[in-house]
Parts: sequence; structure tokens; C-alpha cells
Amino acid sequence: MDAAAPRPKENQGEPLPRVDARLKVTGQAHYPADLPAASIAYGALATSSIARGKVTKLRLDDARAVPGVLDIVTYGDMDKIDKPKFGNSSATSIGPLHDRTIFHDGQIIALAVAETFEAAEEAAQLIRAEYEEDKPTASFDSPGTKTVAAAGKSPMFKEDVKAGDFDAAFAAAAVKIDQRYSTPTQHHNPIELFSTTAYWQGDQLVVHEPSQNVTGWKVELARQLKMDPANVRIVSPFIGGAFGSKGPMTPRTAIVAVAAKRLGRPVRCVTSRMQAFGTQTYRAETRHRIRIGAGKDGRITAFAHEGWEVTSRPDLYVVGGTSATGRMYGYGSVLTHVSLVQADRNTPGYMRSPPETPYVYALENAMDEMAVALGMDPVEFRRINEPKTEPIGKKPFSSRSLIQCYDQAAEAFGWARRDPKIGAMRDGEWLIGMGCATAIYPTAVAPCAARVRLTVDGDVRLQCGSHEIGTGVRTVAGQMASERLGVAIDKISVEMGDSSLPPAPVSGGSISTASVCSAVLKACDAIRTKLFAAATAEGGPLAGSHNEEFDLADGKIVAKSGASAKVENVLKAMQVGAIEEYAEFAPKGATPEALKKLYAGTPEFHGGEQDEDSVKYAFGAEFVEVRINRYTREIRVPRIVGAFAAGRIMNTRTARSQLMGGMIWGIGQALHEATEVDRRYARYVNRDLQDYLVPVNADIKDLQVILVPEIDHAVNPAGVKGLGELGNVGTAAAVASAVFHATGKRIRDLPIRIEQLLV
Amino acid sequence: MSQPSASHVALNRRNFMTGTVSAAAAVPLLGSPAKTQEVTQSRARLREPVVTTLRINKQRHELSLDPRTSLLDALRDHAGLTGTKKGCDHGQCGACTVLVDGKRVLSCLSFAVMNDGKEVTTIEGLASSDGKLHPMQQAFIDHDAFQCGYCTPGQIMSAIGCVNEGHAESENDIREYMSGNICRCAAYPNIVAAVLQARGETRGA
Repeated sequence: MDAAAPRPKENQGEPLPRVDARLKVTGQAHYPADLPAASIAYGALATSSIARGKVTKLRLDDARAVPGVLDIVTYGDMDKIDKPKFGNSSATSIGPLHDRTIFHDGQIIALAVAETFEAAEEAAQLIRAEYEEDKPTASFDSPGTKTVAAAGKSPMFKEDVKAGDFDAAFAAAAVKIDQRYSTPTQHHNPIELFSTTAYWQGDQLVVHEPSQNVTGWKVELARQLKMDPANVRIVSPFIGGAFGSKGPMTPRTAIVAVAAKRLGRPVRCVTSRMQAFGTQTYRAETRHRIRIGAGKDGRITAFAHEGWEVTSRPDLYVVGGTSATGRMYGYGSVLTHVSLVQADRNTPGYMRSPPETPYVYALENAMDEMAVALGMDPVEFRRINEPKTEPIGKKPFSSRSLIQCYDQAAEAFGWARRDPKIGAMRDGEWLIGMGCATAIYPTAVAPCAARVRLTVDGDVRLQCGSHEIGTGVRTVAGQMASERLGVAIDKISVEMGDSSLPPAPVSGGSISTASVCSAVLKACDAIRTKLFAAATAEGGPLAGSHNEEFDLADGKIVAKSGASAKVENVLKAMQVGAIEEYAEFAPKGATPEALKKLYAGTPEFHGGEQDEDSVKYAFGAEFVEVRINRYTREIRVPRIVGAFAAGRIMNTRTARSQLMGGMIWGIGQALHEATEVDRRYARYVNRDLQDYLVPVNADIKDLQVILVPEIDHAVNPAGVKGLGELGNVGTAAAVASAVFHATGKRIRDLPIRIEQLLV
Repeated sequence: MSQPSASHVALNRRNFMTGTVSAAAAVPLLGSPAKTQEVTQSRARLREPVVTTLRINKQRHELSLDPRTSLLDALRDHAGLTGTKKGCDHGQCGACTVLVDGKRVLSCLSFAVMNDGKEVTTIEGLASSDGKLHPMQQAFIDHDAFQCGYCTPGQIMSAIGCVNEGHAESENDIREYMSGNICRCAAYPNIVAAVLQARGETRGA
């Protein structure tokens, strides 16, 4: 079988091709900036060239003189609308045109609008600002930072978890390490550029913009524009990569909406790749101190994880991964603390596995160091510390297949052939290293609504305001309906990415498949109930068989006894052309406000470590081989194997692809990605895809994903754990571990670059 | 203090063109109102639309374009063919790859006027009129060689170019010669599998 379509194992769905595959290979998938709008005007942003201070004067004459320029939106023009409110629907509280204060480099100072893209760009570049400039604070160690405790600063990060007496246990430990790690600033850089197209139809506003959160944006944009949310529509049928960057809305959206209103014409603003670094969010740089103490038997008795994270002056964005690292293994005692370090920077935000990527990297690199200190095999070290319950609240795991993942990945990788001696494995001029690490991601789920219609012709129309960011959510939602309604996938149309559809939660936190499929399941089951009732009613085709079990297959109601009736005939008997069900799913433990909050664009998340009965996580194990050139220290990753268990797999094809993409992200995090900050000016230096390095085709060779079967009914009705963010957790630590194995050099600061191996 | 507004002071195609011409004309003439007017007029002339004829997917398109219009923007904003994507506008990501006279070209790095009279093939021109997909398109579906799909038109056009250049003879070759097309979802192993599947049928197709 083709590697892209793994044969399903227990509790795994068929590897159907994506329902939108044909659109994507023919250029007919319309991303928001592709959607037509009549007599469009083009916008281009002008941004600040300082990171801290005030704009004292803007000179617009040259820009206005450019032929074709229609308008310039700047200070004073946004006074009648409200500033953004920092939160899950808004990337920042900075209203860049509300006042002249500059909080970060690359802050929007104006939007030039013109008849053509070329004229708009020319005008934007002719806008001249005069500033009263203050010396900015760039990052950690810069003069002028302000450090505050993170706990309680975000609803997602309530406390610094702890258990037992760390100090005493660490002091008494026979073997211990105390080390520091760091991860750099990273930018998502989805290949689709960020864009906003806005137009007005009377008092109705339509916005075409790539979004992971159309409902949240509708409500937040309406709040900013002081409108009824019913009059705002966000349209985002396809999203060209997101990775968290399109979760919160940025201030540009309202500015473009105002420009369209002033002109009475649609306005499209496509942000340049360079401007995106300052006008969107990013992964904050982090620092970590980790202390681990263990007995000579390898049992961990003490674990401490302290983290520091950069954020902006106005907004306290929390990364906060200690909730997961503090529960990863059966530590005897746990101490954690997270601090936020404020600087003159744009506000950071969610980027694929936001807390886990940096925090688990630090933990897993430390675990490898600890295994070395103990003289133990790193897999065995993890096996010894496998917990029965999580150490903080002593709750059981709803399911935890970490050891199965390690065993299957180790076998496929050939871990047994690894010579543990440092530098012992070579191939000509290449030093070979092998390493491994654990992946973990919390399993959350949120309320979600869906509408499903089954027609007498056997067609299904499925509507849900979720977002196709490349995960395959359209496909798996269609598969869920196909299974429950007994209708072939090509008879199902799936509509997503529009705030006029039934609301879905933000496509973040790996919740979409679980939340959407649970809602679709509920709608389909309501249709089944109606069909079965009608079929068995007096005069119905299956009258009299009330106590039977029924299923739907191939357009028929099939009883366990073998009797069957065509769905078409049941609908005709009901004298209807279609059955349509609108279902609202709320997870176990949802508050009475949960559905109201879904419509308000502020959905509750459940699961992870928040539930009473158990903690819910998906796990994986990743093994990598690195080859390091003896002379040049060039680092290659010719081989990577990951085994993951994530409950029910809806579609092995889309699941494998997501995990594969995650693992490659992990390689990028380990070896390539870093946004360099010019510490003098608090300015990003490498603001393009030439200098911001991401993995390319030639960086990846042999990659294997193993989907480990797992059944978990506790997580949600669909039995699904999210896996879009699992794949890139731990990878960088596995690479660091392999680099150590090859060279004896322990690299603790990412990314690992040739120069670190030369010294 | 006064400085260029934007952090985008780096040279790009557009300010290079307006910038160099005006600078060349303006530097020795500063301070003279008459000469300034002359400069403004020469800049205005630069922006005067130029009629450009492109053959796109075997159809003739006569477009009146600002001479600074890239081939990419001409396709998307003027010919209505939005299948070709803008990912960086700097020739760094490959999303805008099209075939010009059969060879792969980054359409964001080419002015439309430079392609007058040339044969441009975009993603919309690959499937046959009866809807049958090009073998490379089918192979991308078969091997799930995309996730979000945004870089996909560029990947497919580049893959066809790569095969026809003779650079798809081995997996290593494919990896190397497809590395100008970034896939942020990272479908790379699947892209290689797709090119391998379709290379035979693509040659000379």
C-alpha cells in the first residue's frame, strides 16, 4: 500500500483522499485573497521604523500625489471605532491608528489605498513619519525589561503546578542535573500571505480573510466597529496554512473595513511577507532552567521547571508549558514557575503546540542528559518513570500509550543497533548519532454546532463554521457523516469557513476533529433516530420491528435481522424531501453558559488536565538519526520515525500527513528556524523566506509515521484525540539527543547550527 | 528626525524601478521647481499603462497594465486566474511558479511586459477540457502531496518543469530540484512520491 495511505488498524478510519483534493490541484480552491470582488481597490500598509516612541508627524503629500491613490487611512480616522481587545479573537490590544504611541517595530502607521496594487505600494512607501524616539528594549537581558509572574495572567494558565517537597528531594537525590535551555523567536510563515478584503452591502460588512476563528472574529470585529455581529460576515473557505497565526484577528482587519466604508468600494490589502513579521504574532523566545534528581535506580524523585518568556508591553501573552511537563512522568516531587518578560515587541501568540514545543523541548533534552548522567538507555529511563497517575492531582490518564509508542518506534527505527558510546557510529566522513524524545499534547474539545441535511436523492449537505487549514477537517467531517448516514463520501458536500454557518470553535489547540466530528455525529444520529422511527411506524416499510437494532448502509436502513428499507422510500413515506438536523454539541462538564459562549465566539475548552475524572493527553515517541560531517559539521537528518497514539484516527491518510508535517516542523525547529532580533533597535532582521530558514524538500529524506491503535471513550463522543500539534513536540530534543550521541556536544540553545558544533 | 516610514526600506522590484529612475534624474536637479516637474512627469510616464499580449493556457489575453505589474499580478488581478499564488513576492517560496514557453518561471520576479507574446501555462491550463487531470495533478492527489493546498499549484508546475528539465531521474534529484518550492505544511516526502509516479507520463506530455 502507498505510504501516504496507511492501512487502518483497530479504531482507525479509511485513508480516503481529501474531499477538496481536486479543487486544490486544479487551482480552483479559492483562498480569501482569490475571491472575486467587483471594482476592487488595493491597500498597502505603511509601518513604523522605530520600536518605541511616538509619531509626531506624518507627511502624506508625496503619497497622495501618486496617480491612482484614492485614500490614506491613518491617525484620527479610527477614532469612532473601538480598540482591539486582547484575547483569543484578537492578537493584541494595540489599536495602531488609535494613538500615536509606537509599541514595537513594524507597527501600522497608515493604509494607502489606490486603484492598483502598484500605486498603493508606491504610495505606502512614500509616507514619511517623524518620530520622538525612545531607546527600545529588545528581549531578555536588554535594559528596561519588566518581569512578572505568569500564573493567573491568562485563563489558559492559572497556576504554577507543584507537588511534594522538591527542595528536600533534590538535595537528597543521588544523581542530579541543573541546566538551562533556550528557544528562539519563530514566525509561522504560512505560505499564504496575510490579507484582508472588505466590502459593505448597506450596513452589512463582508470580510474575506484567512481565519482559524470566523465566529470569534465576527464578534470581535463587530465590537470594534460598534455593530451588531449579525451584520458582520467573515468568509474564509480555504486557508493557506495557519499554524496559529490566523487564530486571533489583527488590527488590520478593522482598518481595511473602515477604508472600504470610506471609499464605498471593496478594498483588499495583502500584507507583504516582510510586514507580516511585525503585524502578526510569533512564537515568543523562551528560556528554561530544569533540575532533575533521581536515585541510582533511575527513578526521578525531584523535578523543577522554571520558564521565562518574552511578551509585549501592553499584552501579557503566556506560553506556559509547565502544565504538561509537570505531568509528563512519575516524578516524586514537582516545582514549576513561569515568568513573563516584557519588552518593546509586538505581542506574541499561538504557534503550533504553543506551550509544548518549547517547554517539552527543554524537558526532553534534560531527560536525555539525565539518562547520560545515570548511564542508562534513554528509552529505559523513560520506561522506569512511567506513571500510574499524573503527579500533580494524582488523577489517572484517560489513556496513555507512551510505552507502546516507544516500543513500536524503537523497533521500526532499529534502536537496538545503536552503539551508546559517544561518537562510536560512523560512515566514512559522517558521524552518526541517534536520539529519541517524547511527544505530548493535551486532548481538548469545545462546544460546536453543525447542520446536516439528507435529501431524498441521497445527497448530504454538511455545514459547520470550522476551518480547513490543511488538516483535512472537511474530509473527516464528511467521513463521519458518510459512516453514520450510509452515504458515499462523493455524495456529501461539506461547507466550512464562513461565520454565517453554524458556529465552531477556533481551529486551535488540536480540537477541531474532536469537536466538529462530535457535532456532526450528533446531527447524524438525530437524522437516524427520525428515519428509524418513521421506518418502524405503522405503515412504514419496517413496521413492527421496534426492538430491532438498525444501521444505515448504502442508502438503506438495515435491521440486524437482515430486513431493509430504502432511505428514499422512508422519506417518501414521511412526505418530506429532506431531513435536516441542527445539532449543538457540548462536552462533558460544560457549564450552562457553554453554548452561549460558542455563539459569542469565546468557546470553553474542556479536557487536558482540567477535567475531574482524568487527565487527557495524546502521546508519541520520536527517533531520529543525524549525520554530522566530520570536517564541515554540516548536520543532516536522513531518518526520522515517530509513533503516535491519539485515540480514534478518523482518516489514516490525513492523520499521517499532519504528523509528518509536525515532525518536519520539529526538524526545522531543531536546525533551521529563528527570527533574529537586532538588539539595538528591537527589530526583526531576517524578515523573508530567504533568511528565515524553514525545511525544504532536500532537508527531508526517510520519514516514517506509525499510528498506534488506541481506544479512548472518555475524551469525547467521537473518541478522537487531536494530533495536528503532537508531531512537532519533542522532535527538537530528539535531534539534540542525536547530536550529542554523535559528537558529545550537548546543545541547549535552539536552533542547533554548524557554528555550535565547530567550537 | 525624518526617515522612510516603513521597515521595508529594502530594495524591491517596485521601489527599485521608481527609485532608480527618479534618483538618476533628480540628484543633480534638486532645488529647481521646473526640473522637479520634469521628474514628476517622467515618473508619470513610467506608470502609463502598456498594452501587453499574453497567451495564457492557449488563450490570447490583451491586458492594459501598469508597467510595474508582475506576471503574477497580471495573472491574478487582470486575467482573473487566481490559481497561481503569491507567497512572498520575492522569488523565495515558489508558490507563483508557472511555465513560460514550457520552462518554469517565478511569475513574481518577472514583469508581465517582459512576457509579451509568450506562452504561459498556469495550473488552470493543465487538466484537459473533458476534466481529465494531468498525471502530475492526479499523482498529487494519490500521494496526499499537500495539506493546505496553497503552495500546490506552484509545486505541480515546478514538478512538471523539473521532469521536463531531466531533473527527476532520482529521488535525490527530485528533492534537490524541488527545493525552490517551500511547503510549510511539509508534505515533502509525499511530493517526491507524486513526482516519481507521474514522471513517466509527464515527459513530453
